[in-house]
Amino acid sequence: MNEMNIDIKHIARLARLEISDDEFEMFESQMKDIVKMVEKLPDISDELKPDPNTPMILRKDEAKTDKFTRDELLKNAPSVKAGCLAVPKTVE
Amino acid sequence: MVKGYEAVIGLETHAELSTESKIYCDCKNQFGLEVNSQVCPICMGMPGTLPTLNEKVVDYAIKMGHALNCRINRICKQDRKNYFYPDLPKAYQISQADVPLCENGYVDILSEGEIRRIGITRIHIEEDAGKLLHSDKFDGASLVDLNRCGVPLIEIVSEPDLRSSSEAKIYLETLKSILKYLDICDCKMQEGSIRCDVNVSVHKPGEPLGTRTEMKNVNSFSAALRGIEYEINRQIEVLEAGGTITQETRRWDDVKGISVSMRSKEDAQDYRYFPEPDLLTIVVEQSRVDELKEQIPELPNAKLLRYVNEYNITLKEATFVSESVELAGLFDECMEKGSGAPKSYVSWIVGDLTKYLNETGSDVSDTKITADKLIELVEAIDKKTISNAGGKKVFAVLLKEDKAVRDIIDELGLSQVSDTEFLEKLADEVLASNEKSVSDFKNGKTNALGYLVGQCMKASKGKANPGMMRDIITKKLAEM
Amino acid sequence: MGLYEKSAAQLSTMLQNKEISSVELTKSVFERIEQTEESVCAYLTLDEENALAKAAEVDKKRMAGEKLSPIAGIPTAVKDNISTKGLRTTCASKMLENYVPPFDAFVMKKLRSADAVVTGKVNMDEFAMGSSTETSYFKKTKNPFDLNRIPGGSSGGSAAAVAAGEAVLALGSDTGGSIRQPASYCGVVGLKPTYGAVSRYGLVAFASSLDQIGPVARTVEDAAMLYSAICGHDSMDATSAFREYPDFASSLNGNVEGLRIGIPKEYFGEGVSDEVKAAVLDAVKELERLGASAKEISLESTDYALSSYYIISSAEASSNLARFDGVRYGFRAENSDGLVDMYEKTRSQGFGAEVKRRIMLGTFVLSSGFYDAYYKKAKLLQMRISAEFSKAFESVDVIVAPTVPTTAFKIGENTDDPLKMYATDICTVTVNIAGLPAISVPCVHDENRLPIGLQLISNKFTEDILLNTAYAYEKQTGGFVSPKL
Repeated sequence: MNEMNIDIKHIARLARLEISDDEFEMFESQMKDIVKMVEKLPDISDELKPDPNTPMILRKDEAKTDKFTRDELLKNAPSVKAGCLAVPKTVE
Repeated sequence: MVKGYEAVIGLETHAELSTESKIYCDCKNQFGLEVNSQVCPICMGMPGTLPTLNEKVVDYAIKMGHALNCRINRICKQDRKNYFYPDLPKAYQISQADVPLCENGYVDILSEGEIRRIGITRIHIEEDAGKLLHSDKFDGASLVDLNRCGVPLIEIVSEPDLRSSSEAKIYLETLKSILKYLDICDCKMQEGSIRCDVNVSVHKPGEPLGTRTEMKNVNSFSAALRGIEYEINRQIEVLEAGGTITQETRRWDDVKGISVSMRSKEDAQDYRYFPEPDLLTIVVEQSRVDELKEQIPELPNAKLLRYVNEYNITLKEATFVSESVELAGLFDECMEKGSGAPKSYVSWIVGDLTKYLNETGSDVSDTKITADKLIELVEAIDKKTISNAGGKKVFAVLLKEDKAVRDIIDELGLSQVSDTEFLEKLADEVLASNEKSVSDFKNGKTNALGYLVGQCMKASKGKANPGMMRDIITKKLAEM
Repeated sequence: MGLYEKSAAQLSTMLQNKEISSVELTKSVFERIEQTEESVCAYLTLDEENALAKAAEVDKKRMAGEKLSPIAGIPTAVKDNISTKGLRTTCASKMLENYVPPFDAFVMKKLRSADAVVTGKVNMDEFAMGSSTETSYFKKTKNPFDLNRIPGGSSGGSAAAVAAGEAVLALGSDTGGSIRQPASYCGVVGLKPTYGAVSRYGLVAFASSLDQIGPVARTVEDAAMLYSAICGHDSMDATSAFREYPDFASSLNGNVEGLRIGIPKEYFGEGVSDEVKAAVLDAVKELERLGASAKEISLESTDYALSSYYIISSAEASSNLARFDGVRYGFRAENSDGLVDMYEKTRSQGFGAEVKRRIMLGTFVLSSGFYDAYYKKAKLLQMRISAEFSKAFESVDVIVAPTVPTTAFKIGENTDDPLKMYATDICTVTVNIAGLPAISVPCVHDENRLPIGLQLISNKFTEDILLNTAYAYEKQTGGFVSPKL
């Protein structure tokens, strides 16, 4: 991969970040540097398969109740209405 | 086929699994409780929390894989699907991308009397999202209830093998029936236990496949039927008007009966899937896979064939009974324990029982009917202890009350008299007091027979066995 | 010598012998904080009231004759990305300025059941992204050996607090060197455990497949004591290893007879200062004098480790930090126009530049069309690097390398150049990439009296070998030297 255009705006949109014009240039040049560093990596094209040597212990299907109260869990929320998290209206 | 177009339909069906706890935390997996009451730091995505995979979810998905003749990937992983939405607390859904738990299967469906084999691309496990509540009263806000976050789902992806909306509906009914048989999903449509996304394209036979659209928010089977039909017609209209179909995601509005485009191209989704680093590899032992296969009960298709071939009941009846795990269970138990004809049991099941279930919106388990009682009832009719009409009265009671068939017959006084001596005496009396009818009969008025039998029945207050009564009258008239 | 300056092991004995009380010790530490915190700036949140209450409780238990853990009553600081129930956990970010977790991290449960006295939460780079603690939203922590210099990062607060005597022990977290590098800069001991040895439950994730919590202490024995208290299987963390662990502190004997040391040439290349090189090679000689043998080895894929590290860690971070969206907890921007605008304003105002940079990079390497060339390749290289280490450990027990190529730089010196900053991680990231344990132990001080750290790396779950080697070296050379504050 040679000189490549990184669509900073598109990436920022995916990441839900607002990028100002100043930041835009900074990000662009810094990202290019990082990309250049990354591009020195050797070609290697094996398949990336799940590793059977790291099996996971699964959890028993048992439910616990009364672990936390709703108030405890919503205490940190910026906006709560009627026991729910409130967000700007989503388009239906 | 509409206007020479053929539709190509594929379905992505999401079924909520009926486990005790959620997929990645030990919160209760239960529908309809108070908002945000079945939540913990894990399923609400608090910083620092980690998922742990519920083993039942893996078991259930493998069972479905077996039922749909899939290859089971004993070694597989989970991946993150990244996108922002208020109902998705971590801003990623833990799902499976390139290596699903099950793939490459099929299911046979019965469409217009023909068996159609529908390919199953894959079945994977994933977590459900929460719910957004909307109302004008919310002051320009939408409210988020996270109870459903982390409810386990399997997504069953079909090949684009379906050709019509009705076929899609039959496919969905078949999946639903299998899920019920496996007892891994409640299949409560009104609670959204089964939902699907629909992929539709149209083309003229012999021509390359058309561009497909994806339709989301299809929350019932009837919505699937309507939505697919709408989309097929919409695409044909666009093409007929010289337009082209854009590959897009559309949202089905079941109230308005239309689909609308959800997002434009420039806002194209890029889910940035990558392996979930908080979870290690899912490794299921072959012995476990085999064990789960052994736990699969006889499924509706196999039952259907057995009913038709061994019991000689109609295809329609066999289909109807085999589709329902409850009806089939009742029927199978009757056949196993009882000595009546298959037809007699099936008649009650597809007749009075189904009528009652439909009218009351209840399940077999909500009634008091059991196989033992149905066997007893059929036996009473076969032995002519009661008439068919009496049987219907008994059945009506059996549905609602836990009583013995014999007791109900006695209480309602439905016992038929089949005592030959008594019936002969009754016949003699009636024939003696109806000389006119007897001579009418002799003169060729055959309907006089019916009148005479009727008189006997009347005299017995309806308790005489009508078949036997008719035989005796016929015999006596011939002798006269 | 104030109580606050003594090692945890010494204090533990004094507490057991009832020569001192935990309340006295805790007060001594808080008095020290009073004196030095203004210049060191290690803490984000002090919890004196609860610390003293806990100390009193521990003293009471001890008086009642209860058998207590070795770290019972020892003042311990906790990095601010470890969830503490009821005590704000900010990750040094505006995003979580007022976030109070409703639950304890697994390690906090362990610390509490071991009766450690938690002094408070210490500073770090924002969301652990950085090598200098300069990306903290709240304050810049200073190196106790030179207040004009950075303490390293991201666990800069942990290392500075321990070096300055503002805590006896501290917990840090290490994703690419974040425990070892500040330990090296601040002249203390820092252990990055084997991936899976310490539960990550409750550690606010930076890069899930690389993060590990570990101890920071002034002596190897102290680090071993704290490590024994926090390691162990946790059913809440699927990546936590299911195994038993020895008591690391009591098995230290300083015997390195027959120990095979590997010196990887790739770790002594360009960029590593002569002083650092010399210090590390001298350390090898010390160990040889004690009966160890050394040979040069090669870890050829080391060159790719930094790139792989930045791809993997940023990718995971971009996903891990997506949950900070102003809905369930944390900062929410005001005056937004609709949902997407709320998300974008919240995240743009709530995160600092370094965090945004990593999120951008991570989003990029995972995005459609780039995944194979970046993320997938990095994961494949990770396997290659891992395999290379496994091979090396067939013929050596411990690999010796610098922790950092140089000593601590000046505050502000590298902040404008992320690549230069990232380069300081070159000696540490491979260890995280390969999931290995490693320790940084104080070596000598350079001409500016700044500490140099010696890094020891060993095979998975052989922290006993690692700690014992470090212990032998520390005994031989004297170990920690207090800064003049």
